[in-house]
Amino acid sequence: MSQQSRSDALHVERLGKRFGTLPVLSDVSFTTKPGEILGLIGPNGAGKTTLLECLTGLLPLDTGSISWQGRPLSRDQRTRIIWYQPDDILPYARQRTRTTLSFFRQVHGAEQDVLDDLIGRLELAPVLARPLEELSKGYRRRLNLAIALLSRRPLLLLDEPFDGFDLHQSLAVMDLLRRYRKRRTMILSIHQLSEAEKICDRFLLLGEGRVLATGSLSRLCDRTGLPIGTSLEEVFLAIT
Amino acid sequence: MPSPDTGHPASLSRTVLLQEIRSLLLSPPLWLMLVVLSLITGYSFTEAVDIFGRASRTALAYPELARGMDPMEGIFVPTFGAYYLTETLLLPFVAIRLIGLDKESGALKLLMQLDLPPLKLCSLKGLAMVLVWLLSLVPILLVTLLWLRAGGHLHPPAFAAMLAAHALYSLVVIAVAMFCSTVADSLSTAAILCLSFTLGGWVLDFALSGQNALPAVIANLSLAGLVRQLENGLVTVPGVLSFLFTSLLFFSLAIIWIRPGEPVMGRLFRSLAVVILLAAGMVIGWNAPGSLDVSEQRKHSLNPADCRALRRMQDPLTITMHLARDDSRLLDLERGLLVKLRRCLPKLTIHYAETGETGLFEAAAGDNYGLVEYAYQGQRQESYSNSENEILAILHDLAGTEVKPEPVPTYPGYPLVTDCTGCGWWLYFLLPLCFACCGICCRKKL
Repeated sequence: MSQQSRSDALHVERLGKRFGTLPVLSDVSFTTKPGEILGLIGPNGAGKTTLLECLTGLLPLDTGSISWQGRPLSRDQRTRIIWYQPDDILPYARQRTRTTLSFFRQVHGAEQDVLDDLIGRLELAPVLARPLEELSKGYRRRLNLAIALLSRRPLLLLDEPFDGFDLHQSLAVMDLLRRYRKRRTMILSIHQLSEAEKICDRFLLLGEGRVLATGSLSRLCDRTGLPIGTSLEEVFLAIT
Repeated sequence: MPSPDTGHPASLSRTVLLQEIRSLLLSPPLWLMLVVLSLITGYSFTEAVDIFGRASRTALAYPELARGMDPMEGIFVPTFGAYYLTETLLLPFVAIRLIGLDKESGALKLLMQLDLPPLKLCSLKGLAMVLVWLLSLVPILLVTLLWLRAGGHLHPPAFAAMLAAHALYSLVVIAVAMFCSTVADSLSTAAILCLSFTLGGWVLDFALSGQNALPAVIANLSLAGLVRQLENGLVTVPGVLSFLFTSLLFFSLAIIWIRPGEPVMGRLFRSLAVVILLAAGMVIGWNAPGSLDVSEQRKHSLNPADCRALRRMQDPLTITMHLARDDSRLLDLERGLLVKLRRCLPKLTIHYAETGETGLFEAAAGDNYGLVEYAYQGQRQESYSNSENEILAILHDLAGTEVKPEPVPTYPGYPLVTDCTGCGWWLYFLLPLCFACCGICCRKKL
């Protein structure tokens, strides 16, 4: 059982979730440090999205507790600390990109400068006047990322932030995430391990709803007996 | 623990409200509903004006007939029929989008993370829908202007009651649609659920009226029945409370079921508690006294002298009807005198004696079929009459009072022969075109 510390940003203790009789998450415990990027990795169906939705409070927990900086978080309090950006959503599809971004800037209480910066870095300017439903998959992803980064909450949960991007775009997004990380913690659910290896400080490996391993890449190498410098892909295969 | 995202709560609410209004204005079903509403309102109005005009031609020749020419009943009730159709069949498709579309697009997952409790979020969505619903008043306001311009008569309190009837009914439909979209997986399922409710209420009213006992009570309390009551100028506390409690019930259920992160059993228990609480409120509301006759001819009221005398009858009065529920004499009494008596008599009980079900052309079951018995303070009188004056005489006789009716102004009637051919341009062409253009403009500007 992991020990809770005030230096932890997020502390999750024995979290469990079932859908009917099917256990989706069992005894999931982990911590994150302030300013850290934690990569949530695992095969499809491992429970990554369910874990993120449970953390946010969008799904009820069956068991377990969540605390932030040593203080337990109720469901209502979680929605004040955590912002979760789900994968593949298209909010307000008939509205223009500019209108939707402006709406989220206002509800997040973000400065116009921040929005302008995000529009520039994510190259959203050409589609600002177009309705969201007309955007390509790549632009939709960028828009979702902008919505998430407009939030000023200290813990950001991003579901598959690199999905649908080419190599250059992925690198640009990684750079952006590093810039916007500042003093906040991020948990990224990623299934492309090469990207996860480049941006995440530590990893949480999930398999069939259980924590298979946690730690930095070197620690995971240690644990599996693989030499330091082994790729995350090989470590992942060794663990799963 | 304040959210770092939180600006001023009022500003967050205003932003979300504006966003909801924008979403609704961008939804094609809204503008389609308004175009269809304009067309069917236009059709109902022109048909009503035509029929009213033909009846007026005869009435102008015979003053006695003129007194029966009520434009509220002859013009506005049929015109508002178009609203009932639209609210029953089309409004659900607009209102389910408030939550259903956000659910499908994923926007709801983001909205639920804002510093807005479910109550506030649902209230803002409901408020946005109500504000947008105001657009649907344009056709009836245009029709009213055309009617007044043609020299027609309007009784403002009765008109206000009609508007209130449809506002209250729309409120119920919006609340039901919000609830259906919170529990349904998709927009189409939500639409089916909501239409089951609205159409179910309509069918219930249609199928059960004229039936015995419980079905008749249900039919009278159906939303369609209550809309009709208000349209006829009778505003009752139980009627208005029924609308409000039904809206509140579904609105509360929507709040319970939209809230994420809560186990299903917890939601079920909360829902049950809300249903019990509001059902109790509704039962109390049904027995609440208080009604207002806003019709110009005061068709739901007795002569003030009669009413004063009846109000003094403090002991229970029992009326026993030996009439089948589908007998036209009973229906006449129910719609006429009994409504008036219920408004004046504090302790009135009506019994429907077992008459046996008789077919349309079958013989009556008993010798006393058609008889109405009146019992008060141990005295008993009976009559086969359904004339208001004769029945009132019996009641005053039972109470031992003699009543001289007060002189009241006679309703003159407002026959009007008018040609409404010019209205067609407005109602069939200009107004629908205007709504269609507004829809396109919103798409371009918002």
